[in-house]
Amino acid sequence: MRGATSAKWVAGAVIVAMAATACSTSKDSNAGKSGGNITVVLGEPQHGLVGQNTAESEGAEVLNALFVGLVDYDNKTNEPKLAVAESIDTTDSKTWTIKIKDGFTFHNGEKVDAASFVRAWNWGANQDNAAEGLPFFSKIEGSDELAPGKDKKPTAKELKGLKVVDEKTFTVTLKDPFSQFKTMLGYNAFYPLPKAFEADPKKFGEAPIGNGPFQMDGAWEHNKQIKIKKYDKYPAEGRAKLDGVTFKIYDNLDTAYNDLRADTIQIVDKLPISAMATVSQEFGDRYIYKPESGVGYIGLPLEQNPEAFGKVEIRKAISMAIDRDAITKTIFNGTRKPADDFISPIIPGYRKGALGEVGTYNPTKAKELYTQAGGVPGNKIELGYNADGGHKEWIEAVANQLKANLGIEVTAKPYAKFGDMLDDLGASKYKGAFRMAWSMDYPAAENYLRPIFSKVAIENGSNYGHYVNEAFETKLAEADKATDAAQGLKLYQEADDIIIKDLPYIPVFTYMSSSAYSKTVKNVEVDAQGRMDLANVELN
Amino acid sequence: MGRYLIRRLIQAIPVLIGATFLIYALTFAMPGADPIQLLAGEKKADPLVTAMLRAKYHLDDPFLLQYWNYITGVFQGDLGETLTGRKVLDLFSEAFPYTVNLALVAFVIEAVVGVLAGVMAALRRGKFLDQLVLISTLMVISIPVFVTGFVLQLTLGVQLKNNWGIDFFPVSFNENDGIRAYLLPAFVLASTSLAYVARLTRTSLMETMRADYVRTATAKGLPRRRVVVNHALRNALIPIVTFLGADLGSLMGGAVITERIFNIHGVGGLLAQSVYLKQGAVVVGGVTILVLVYLIGNLLVDLLYAVLDPRIRYA
Repeated sequence: MRGATSAKWVAGAVIVAMAATACSTSKDSNAGKSGGNITVVLGEPQHGLVGQNTAESEGAEVLNALFVGLVDYDNKTNEPKLAVAESIDTTDSKTWTIKIKDGFTFHNGEKVDAASFVRAWNWGANQDNAAEGLPFFSKIEGSDELAPGKDKKPTAKELKGLKVVDEKTFTVTLKDPFSQFKTMLGYNAFYPLPKAFEADPKKFGEAPIGNGPFQMDGAWEHNKQIKIKKYDKYPAEGRAKLDGVTFKIYDNLDTAYNDLRADTIQIVDKLPISAMATVSQEFGDRYIYKPESGVGYIGLPLEQNPEAFGKVEIRKAISMAIDRDAITKTIFNGTRKPADDFISPIIPGYRKGALGEVGTYNPTKAKELYTQAGGVPGNKIELGYNADGGHKEWIEAVANQLKANLGIEVTAKPYAKFGDMLDDLGASKYKGAFRMAWSMDYPAAENYLRPIFSKVAIENGSNYGHYVNEAFETKLAEADKATDAAQGLKLYQEADDIIIKDLPYIPVFTYMSSSAYSKTVKNVEVDAQGRMDLANVELN
Repeated sequence: MGRYLIRRLIQAIPVLIGATFLIYALTFAMPGADPIQLLAGEKKADPLVTAMLRAKYHLDDPFLLQYWNYITGVFQGDLGETLTGRKVLDLFSEAFPYTVNLALVAFVIEAVVGVLAGVMAALRRGKFLDQLVLISTLMVISIPVFVTGFVLQLTLGVQLKNNWGIDFFPVSFNENDGIRAYLLPAFVLASTSLAYVARLTRTSLMETMRADYVRTATAKGLPRRRVVVNHALRNALIPIVTFLGADLGSLMGGAVITERIFNIHGVGGLLAQSVYLKQGAVVVGGVTILVLVYLIGNLLVDLLYAVLDPRIRYA
């Protein structure tokens, strides 16, 4: 092709394009009335559909139907329950023995065995593959050799900590004890991969061969749809009820919602803001509205601006000057709930009202604390937010409340994109408070603490205020070592208590998820990560 | 004529190179976040993964080197890759058919309906039909496209189906609906330009109707129909063709809103998203193609002049 001009290519593209659209006569087959096929909403996934390389919600949604991991989460309690795993045992939270159930096969007939998990994790842990899920493997022994860092070459191909004992058993050795390892295993980075993956990972991502209740029905049609169909050889328990599902790809939720109203598609698991006012009236009990995993904060640049935010009294004053009820009711129409713990209400370990006094609106006490602590320099605070995500209104409300209740000057500072704000924070250029949010990777209390407030999270996580507290680190490590689940949870709660006392971020609200479905389907459930439980959906 | 054509085509080369360089430089210079962080959305991208991807896509190279690598790739038929590993060429060959079809249907609606309305208004100057065209075009011009789009989608797509059982206009685009899928979005896309075409035709035709040669033709006793169509309209069409030619390009590039409302994954949305995500290769690829469409559109317009008015000659 040397010497071909771009013009030639363009002409080619246009001709191909016209030819491709010239023949489109077949009738729409996704109406879903009979035959057990439905259509649901999706946004275009970012990467090829490989669990180890998927960190965003759209790809995860499809993977959830195509794959099943060692554990799964209960839709109601979010407790981990065994899925492919027969047992996951440990005596010290450091070495884990995992046994696999019989009867699971990949969609090409290959057996799901110990090697299929080891294969997948080794691939994900290798920095040469630059997989988004890489950080999840850093707890396993030997991960440093596969991911030694920038400008270095991996010195091993396999994680030292993974050992295949027999076809159905393998052991995992972690660098340090981690009591939540079993819970973590439900995350999509830990899905297994068949041998066929290794031949061509890129091609695999376009038409993955999974081990879940659904298999691909043709390849991913980019920006159009992803079709999946029931996998007949899936174990009886958990086998899909529908024959097939089409994920129709939208980039505009308003359009998807209108399609739902016209019954062109049957389930929408993310409703547009414009629908919130009338959806419960229109859909009645076919409207699902429940808490999800996200928590929204006001972040504080502790290290970048100690003069203003270094004193805990100031942080408490700010927290107590925020009227969470008013914000969730008037700005969000009740589609958010006031936060009362750093841990989301859907997570085992959440304690109602854990924030206590600092989470309760009390303008008088706030002002008192603020004055006693000597205020902030210049009596001025900046409040940064990213303008691309619908945060303007609530940030301005918080600004006004702080202004009125603390008597300080507050300016809301919009950033075009979230990443811009992070850049400035990272370079210590921005010294104001900022909006922040976290949603879990896996349903463990630990996941609301370490990735946001630990020392390692300064470099690798969301600790943008560079908060450091040794007591907190020690408590986390202690909780990690626990071998008794209840004891472990208690220790994580104690770590949570330290954060509540220090208040490095101020929790403001927790997110709610909203979905709706048409009259033609039933048994629709959405899990804590906002993914549809498609295997259970039935036609009416 | 042949020489003229070749000269015009040669002129297009510096325009193309200049445009790509400019766009590439602009996306490169865009302030703010790392494109890899932008892909990660609200979560912080892992530093090691980011570093590996930056190395893979040569994002740490100086600008001129990056541009050189890109442009040499283009001349070998490789438009580059997105940061998620998709070929830019694939992206465009997927997106282009939709936009081309949409733009063509819109163009036909715009040209046929617009010119017809304009002609009728001009011939019935001051009468009811003229007033109707003036008022309705004013309305179309003053209502923003996204309002027209959502209202039509809701009334014709949702309510017509739910209340009357008429399932003719799909809410969102589906290839299997054939041309039906394009009708509503194309009408929305064409609406503003359609109004301009109608008004332009009306004014232009009224002007030529007063010209001496039209009066001569009428005096010769030619039927009114022939006078209007063969004599007056032919000349009156020159400014309209100019407008239509330039508009074909903007129909293709400016369909962002319409494509979004009707869920057509075409070029407009792709470009808008790529600008947002700082995906330089996609932006440059798309803009290059659009520049080409503009150049060809303008060339066609210039050639059409000679057909409409034989006095215009090219050497």
